[in-house]
Amino acid sequence: MVESILSGDTPVFVDGVGKSIVISTRGWEQRSVAESTTEAVVRGPKEAFVETLRVNTSMLRRRIKNPNFVIESLKIGKYTKTDVAVAYIKDVAKDEVVEEVKKRLTKIDIDGIIDSGYLEEMIEDNPFSPFPQIEHSERPDKIAAELLEGRVAIISDGSPEVLVVPTIFVQFFQSAEDYYERYYISTLFRFLRLAAMLMSLTLPSIYVAAVTYHQEMIPSPLAISIAAQREGVPFTTLMEAFLMEFFFEILREAGIRLPMQVGQAVSIVGALVIGQAAVQAGLVSAATVIVVAITGIASFSIPAFNIAITFRLLRFAMLIVGGTLGFFGIIMALMMILAHLASLESFGVPYLSPLAPSNTRELNDVFIRIPWWAKILRPHKVAGRNVKRQNYTRG
Amino acid sequence: MKKVLILFVVLSLFLTGCWDKREINELAFVQGIGMDIDKDKMCNITVQVLKPANLATSSGGGGGGAAAGKPYEVYSSRGVDFAKAFSNFNTELSRTLFLQHNEIIFIGENLARSGIYSMLDFVTRNPEFRRTSYLVVVSGGTIDDLMKLSKSVEKYPYREILGMIQNQKNTSSAYVCDINHFVETLETEEVQPIVGRLEIVKKDGKPQHARFVGAAAFKYDKMVGLLTEQETKGIMWMDNLIKNTSLVVDKGPKGDKTHISFTIIKANSSITPKVNGEDVSFDVKINFDSNMIEENSKYNLTDLKMIKGLEDLQQEKVKSEVLDALNAVQKKYKVDSVGFGQKLQEKYPKVWAKLKDRWDEIYPNVKVNVSVKATLKRSGLTSKPIEPR
Repeated sequence: MVESILSGDTPVFVDGVGKSIVISTRGWEQRSVAESTTEAVVRGPKEAFVETLRVNTSMLRRRIKNPNFVIESLKIGKYTKTDVAVAYIKDVAKDEVVEEVKKRLTKIDIDGIIDSGYLEEMIEDNPFSPFPQIEHSERPDKIAAELLEGRVAIISDGSPEVLVVPTIFVQFFQSAEDYYERYYISTLFRFLRLAAMLMSLTLPSIYVAAVTYHQEMIPSPLAISIAAQREGVPFTTLMEAFLMEFFFEILREAGIRLPMQVGQAVSIVGALVIGQAAVQAGLVSAATVIVVAITGIASFSIPAFNIAITFRLLRFAMLIVGGTLGFFGIIMALMMILAHLASLESFGVPYLSPLAPSNTRELNDVFIRIPWWAKILRPHKVAGRNVKRQNYTRG
Repeated sequence: MKKVLILFVVLSLFLTGCWDKREINELAFVQGIGMDIDKDKMCNITVQVLKPANLATSSGGGGGGAAAGKPYEVYSSRGVDFAKAFSNFNTELSRTLFLQHNEIIFIGENLARSGIYSMLDFVTRNPEFRRTSYLVVVSGGTIDDLMKLSKSVEKYPYREILGMIQNQKNTSSAYVCDINHFVETLETEEVQPIVGRLEIVKKDGKPQHARFVGAAAFKYDKMVGLLTEQETKGIMWMDNLIKNTSLVVDKGPKGDKTHISFTIIKANSSITPKVNGEDVSFDVKINFDSNMIEENSKYNLTDLKMIKGLEDLQQEKVKSEVLDALNAVQKKYKVDSVGFGQKLQEKYPKVWAKLKDRWDEIYPNVKVNVSVKATLKRSGLTSKPIEPR
C-alpha cells in the first residue's frame, strides 16, 4: 500500500471493506521519445527508449503483437524500489534462460538501481572479464529483433538502455542497420568492422614491434622512410606510441565531457598540437601520429561503445607487450585474449558461438548477412525448442 | 611488497629496451654489398650505407626540399676472411650494419675466379643476409667503381641496379641468379651454376654506368669465363627461361640487307637425351611465338610466303644464338651450364651412373641437335605497310 502511494498510485478505501482498490494514477514529467543518439542509423527506425519503463514496454508491445510476448515485473533496490521488467516471447525464448534471468535478478540485494548498468554488473557471468557479456541498446527495433531470436530483455525504470541476454561476441559488431540495408552491403560493412576491430586492438603494437624488432619485415622504401622520420626523435618508438595514445585518450575524454561548442575547440587544439606541432618540433615521428590516428578512427567504427572501450584498454597492454617482446609477445597476448574469450559464457551460451563451438549453419549471420528470405532458423544455442523462424519463401 | 615489485617491473619496461631491440633510426641500412679478394688474398667488403634523412623527400624537421647531400655513403673494409672484414666495420661506423634490406650481392671478378665458396659460407651462415639476394658478378671494373656510378635515374646506384635486374627478369636478356638458386645448382652434380653479370661501362677511364647483360659461367664455385649477351640468351633458350625478349634479324627474307625486329611473346623449349650404346646425343627443341615490331623494307604481310620467310629468319637467328652458346660453354669453357647431364640423369639414370665419372671428358664432344620452330602471330597495327606515293 505504502509502495503504491510512493509510486504515485491512488488507493481507494471503502468503509467496511478490508481491501482497497489501487488506481494507477502515476504521472510525472518525462522526456519525450527522441532520436537515438548513441546508435544512430541512416536507414531504419529513429526512435529510442526513454527513462520511463512503461513507455519502453509499450514501444516493444507495439512491435510484437502476440499474446506470448510476456513482460514480467520485479522490484529491485531496498531504497529505490526500481521497477525492472523481464521481457521475452514465451514459445521462442529458452525456459532455462528465462528462469536463470529471474533467479539472478531476485538474488540481487542492493540499496538502489539507478541505471541498467548496475544490473549488468550484478548479473553478468564473469565479473572480472574486461569484455562485456551483456549487450545493451536504446533502440526498440533492435531489442524487438533480439526478442524474436529468443533472447530475454531486461528493462530497468530510469534507464533508456535495455539489456539483452544471452549475448555472444559477434553481436557487438552488428549494427541494427545491417538488417535494413541490402545484404551485400551489410556483409561488406561487417568485414570492415572486423578489420577495424583488429586494427584498433593491434595496429600500434604491430607498428612498434616492426619498427624496433622486425625491421626486415617492412618493405625497404617504407623502412627507410620511417627511419628518416625518426631521425632526431628523442623517445623510443614504444614511448612515443604510448605517449601519443595517451594524449589521444585525454583528448577524447575531454571532448566527451565538454559542451559541444568548447568540444570543437578542444579537437582543433588537439589536432594541431598532436598532428602538426609535435611532428614539426621533432618530438614524435609522423608515422606514429598516422598510426595512432588510424587506430583512433578504427576504434570509433565499432558499433558497440562498450566493446570499443574494451579494445582500447587492451590496446595499451598490447602496446607494451609488442614493444618489449615483439611479434612473439603480440601473438602470445592475442592467444591469451582468444583463450579468455573462448572461456566466457553468457547465460549458458558460449561467448564465441557460433565460431567456437562452431556451427557452420549459423555462420550465415556472423561475418556475412544472408537475406531475410533465406534466414530460416534462429540461433539454436539461444532459442529454445522453437528454432524455425519461417519457411523458405518470398513474396 | 608485491605492489613495489609490480611497479618495478612496469617501470623497467620503459627505461630500457629488450636485449635485441634496435630502433629503426639507429640502423645503417645496407643496400648493395660487394665482396672481392685482392692481390694479397685479403678479403674486401664494400657496403653502400643509406642516409635515410637525405633520402626522404620531405623530412619532418626540414620543412622543404632543400638540396640534401648524397643519400648514401660507401665504406670498405679488409680482413683475412669475410667475417673479419665485416666485423672491422664496427670500428668506423656509428650505427650497426643492417643487412636485411639488401637484395644484391656483388662479386668481384677476382673473387669469382678464385672461388666464392668462403663468401657463400659467410653469407648463408649469417641470418641477416637474405637467401633471395641476387648474386651478380661485376666485370669491367672493380666494386669501388660500381659503388661510385654517377649516371642514375634513381637516388642511389643500388636502386638503379636492382631495377635493372628486376627488369631483366621480365625481358630475359641476362641471367638472374639468387643465392638459393646458386647453392641449389652447386649441390647438383649434373649441372654447373651460371651467375648474372654486371658490366661497368667506363668513359675516359671513369665509371659511368652499368649494364646488366650476359652472364658468368662457373665450374663449381669458380668462375671459368664470361658469357656475352648472345651466348647467355642461347643458354636461356635451351633452359626454357625466355619469357619476353626482343629478337633482331639483320637480313630480309630475300637475302636483302635490312633489320627486322620481333618481340617474343611465348616460348618453350625441351632437351631430350638420346642414348645409343655408349653414344649420347641431345635434341633441343625450341618453339616460340613472336610479334613483328619494326621493319623498314615495306613487306606485305598479307602474303603467306612472306610470313613463312620471316619465320624462317627468326628460326635461323635463334639457332645461331643457341649454337653460339653451345660453342662457348661446351667447347671453350667445357662446363655443363645448360644441364645436359641433368636431363640425361632424369631420363636414363643408369646410363648417367655409368658416365658421370667421365662426363667432363664426354661432354665437350656430345652432339646436340637444335631445331627451332617460330610462329609469327601478329604484325602490330599494320598489315600493309605505309606506302608513300
